[in-house]
Amino acid sequence: MAALFWMNIVLGSTSISVSEVLNILAGKAEGTSAAIILNIRLPRAVAALVLGGALALSGYLLQTFFANPIVGPYVLGVSSGAKLCVALMMIFFLSRGRSIGLIAMVASAFAGSLIVMAFVLAISVKVKSMGILVVCGIMIGYICSAITDFVVTFADDSNIVNLHNWSMGSLSGIGWKEIRVFTIVIFLCLIVALSIIKPMNAYRLGENYARNAGVNIRMLRVVLILVSSLLAACVTAFAGPISFVGIAVPHLVRSLLKTDRSNIVIPASFIGGAIVTLLCDAIARTVFAPTEVSISSVTALLLVPVVIYVMMNRKKERL
Amino acid sequence: MPETQGIKTENLTIGYGSDLIKEICIEAVPGKVVTLIGPNGSGKTTLLRTLTGELESRGGVIYLNGKDKSLLNSYDTAKAMSMVMTEKIRTELMTVREVVEVGRYPYTGKLGILSEEDNDKVRDAMEQTDTSLLAEKYFNELSDGQKQRVLLAKAICQEPDVLILDEPTSYLDIKYKIDLLGKIRRFASEKNIAVLMSLHELDIARKVSDVVVAVGDGKVLKIGTPAEVCTERFIRKLYNIEGVESELLGEQYWESASKDSDCEKSLERNEEEGHSDASFEILNKHQRKNVSDNSTSEKSGEITSHHRAKVIMIQGTMSNAGKSLVAAGLCRIFADDGYKVAPFKSQNMALNSYITDEGLEMGRAQVVQAECARIRPVAEMNPILLKPTSAMGSQVVVNGKVVGNMKAMDYFRHKKDYIPEIMKAYEKLSDMADIIVVEGAGSPVELNLKDGDIVNMGLAEMIDSPVLLVGDIDRGGIFPQLLGTLDLLTAKERERVKGLIVNKFRGDGKLFESGINILEDKGRTKVVGVVPYMDIKIDDEDSLSERFTNKTVGEFDIAVIKLRMISNSTDLDTFDQIREASVRYVEKPSELGDPDLLIIPGSKNTIEDLRELIKNGLFDAIIKKAKEGTVVIGICGGYQILGESVEDPECAESGGSETGLGLLPVKTVMGSEKIRTVYSGNVISSTGILESLKGAPVTGYEIHMGETHPTEELTEFTSGKTGYCKGNVYGTYIHGFFDKKEILEGIVRSVSESRGKKIDTASVEDYKDRKEVAYDKLAENLRKSLDMEYIYKVLGLNK
Repeated sequence: MAALFWMNIVLGSTSISVSEVLNILAGKAEGTSAAIILNIRLPRAVAALVLGGALALSGYLLQTFFANPIVGPYVLGVSSGAKLCVALMMIFFLSRGRSIGLIAMVASAFAGSLIVMAFVLAISVKVKSMGILVVCGIMIGYICSAITDFVVTFADDSNIVNLHNWSMGSLSGIGWKEIRVFTIVIFLCLIVALSIIKPMNAYRLGENYARNAGVNIRMLRVVLILVSSLLAACVTAFAGPISFVGIAVPHLVRSLLKTDRSNIVIPASFIGGAIVTLLCDAIARTVFAPTEVSISSVTALLLVPVVIYVMMNRKKERL
Repeated sequence: MPETQGIKTENLTIGYGSDLIKEICIEAVPGKVVTLIGPNGSGKTTLLRTLTGELESRGGVIYLNGKDKSLLNSYDTAKAMSMVMTEKIRTELMTVREVVEVGRYPYTGKLGILSEEDNDKVRDAMEQTDTSLLAEKYFNELSDGQKQRVLLAKAICQEPDVLILDEPTSYLDIKYKIDLLGKIRRFASEKNIAVLMSLHELDIARKVSDVVVAVGDGKVLKIGTPAEVCTERFIRKLYNIEGVESELLGEQYWESASKDSDCEKSLERNEEEGHSDASFEILNKHQRKNVSDNSTSEKSGEITSHHRAKVIMIQGTMSNAGKSLVAAGLCRIFADDGYKVAPFKSQNMALNSYITDEGLEMGRAQVVQAECARIRPVAEMNPILLKPTSAMGSQVVVNGKVVGNMKAMDYFRHKKDYIPEIMKAYEKLSDMADIIVVEGAGSPVELNLKDGDIVNMGLAEMIDSPVLLVGDIDRGGIFPQLLGTLDLLTAKERERVKGLIVNKFRGDGKLFESGINILEDKGRTKVVGVVPYMDIKIDDEDSLSERFTNKTVGEFDIAVIKLRMISNSTDLDTFDQIREASVRYVEKPSELGDPDLLIIPGSKNTIEDLRELIKNGLFDAIIKKAKEGTVVIGICGGYQILGESVEDPECAESGGSETGLGLLPVKTVMGSEKIRTVYSGNVISSTGILESLKGAPVTGYEIHMGETHPTEELTEFTSGKTGYCKGNVYGTYIHGFFDKKEILEGIVRSVSESRGKKIDTASVEDYKDRKEVAYDKLAENLRKSLDMEYIYKVLGLNK
């Protein structure tokens, strides 16, 4: 991870030598290079690290909740819901000539993700099939994206390009101020997630056995939903929807570590998410440099095969 | 601890959305295994799920270790109760050890870190369930049997006071089943756990349980020891296994079950079970002999080469028109002519049943007909027998076995379901016999009941049989009887009626010639014969017969207590041989008089009849007579009534208990297993006036629910502990006790001598011999009055 992190700082459209970077980080250098490193590359790397971790964790919590290995915030449309809400808020504020506050961004994203989650939950009560649940989630995601597109199209503001970029998913343009906000939120979420390791471990046996072991099922479910939604909302609010990290990373982690114990998988997912996102961001920035590719494109390209592989292996257990 | 340990429910009501089972009161105490049985969908799993908290209860209270479960917090509940349910567990990458560790969940701290002690317990639990070697394997890679053991380990390591298991043995092969249940049993006693589980396999439930709870019909039907609950009768009722003569249910199996329940009088019929075709071997042998006697073997051989039997059906214009007799007579005629004949009546309604050699019940009318046909009666001849038990309901006997009680309306609604059974029985007879003589029931034009008819025209249709219609001229209105019946039949049904028979004509048949012309003219159907009124004594079909109203007192006065639920009343028919003897039925004390012989007959419901006796005063009157020295004989139910008490703890008849007459120091306990067996023995020793009966042979049959044991040293009357006597009071379970010449003669002679009377007993014969004479006479009369050539033509046989 450290290596990747390092790579993310060093690589870029402006080439800055390794020693120069070291100097800048040590605070010994000034100038354009220093500004690029400290204000653009370093915050971007930190964002990738924290948001990636958050995404993977959110995916893991959702997978636990639905006892369904092919769900994630993006697949269930939660990210898209958050995106829609954020876009609406942005346009609302921008049309009044004010820029949107960070907290308001997170709050609206959270609201959006919760609304979609409520939809998905309602569906999951009706249909028991995992496959249908996922399809419904994807549909909801499309609806949200479509509405977002409408909104963006008809918003006649100069920031529209920004908005468009954001809605595609991008880690660019995240500054230290933003980082401070979402890092606090995400680490709080992480702590809560770690605190429910015990019930989650029992929950792997299914709701009934977990209840029989003394787990307060309702509480666990509420916590799972709130935390995963908040995590997904945070990511979406700042980086737009980043696809497939949430669904694929927990799988990679589980199959690498050969266990699904929550006390291992929760931190491992977080770290894994961070690594994958750093890697993907590095690729997004550098492969077609100086043009930047949307990070979602990279994650999709890299992670969809993983998801498909998982689904194929699952076939025998009927999705 | 003062509170009751284990789990207990009080008026618990369960269900999804609506009530499934109401007011459940069950209990499982530490160290005991309680098993729920019941048909699919009866709510076993729902009940267990409600107990574990998966489902909300719909009323009532669940007590866990004496505390209201709804007030306990989740950890306390988890420490007190663990479970193994049927739901599939979808885990991947979860090792066996991790699964078992979940059992320690309620005992660990916030982060769920296991202490050394917890780890020891996990290890112990795995060792005890033989899952130690699987510890590091992934749970989803295990076999079903291994999975169940792992879940059991998890449940055990939870150290519960109550263990709940839902079908723990489903999907397991027999080895794992035995293994798993053995472990459950062991844990129950070693760890003092209250086990409550549901099981489908009754044989296993019987072996593993201390208490069996049967649920069905929206309630808890029965709670008791396995022996008490798992009786064939009850299980058939519970699972609604009607009339299925299933090898899977297995006679042997049920017999051994009743042995468990110290019902030692296991029937000798075990050996005979399983080859009911034996009757037809005998039939064939007998027929062959018969055929050669009649030197018509050529023809018989030719006919037997046909696969399907010829069939003729006798229907009547009303009950008691004489169908049974005509059918019986035809059976004898065909048999005399060298055919293999089998009687058949799809459904009989009668209190009097006969017990076949296989120990199966059937109506007596077909027994008489079988005797006429000279074959051994088999239950297939009467696939459905309804025995009225109350004004509204009947006991339903299908192919010889009791399948339960039914209300008349229920039966009417369900009767179509019995068609396969009826047809199966008919086909079986059809394979074996040359001619089947089918008897209808009642009138074929009971228009309100015609829908779904399985006894008259409906049956005739099913088996494609020609019909002869019998009318009773003695009761008058022969023209409306026959012509009216024809009129009410549909055209298609009418087509089936190939002939009319005028029955019970008193006087010279020739006098009715003009009547025949009218019938044939108006009915456009041939009159096959005018049958004279015959005073032929053969078995009464049911207890509604006229003889019950006889009140005249003869020289040798036999008083029979007319029980309300009187049963098998043909026991006394043999007394008809003695001219001076009269059999009269007594309903109230004033009618009792001073009989030479007082007989208490069999009952369908001993306790209820006892209560009736107390009510109508006969109870005390009988005791008084016995004290005066009158000879009192009790047969079957009557024998039970003679005893000190009758108890029915399992509700075999109607439940409860009642004090008996106390004339014999014996006690009867009703068991739910019906004892039915053919009997052949003798009088071992006797007391009082009938002392001379000692050594006399006794034949007959036993058919009863209870067992009767002496409460003190007592003289064994009929052999095999089937009866006892004291002074002038005699009791026996043997129906047909009076049938043997020696018995009849002995009783009449001894009693009349003691009473200073002289009764002629010289002409007394065994009841059986007498019957033969009667049957021959019947056949002779019928042959004279019926156009047999025409009947053979109707059958499709050219004689």
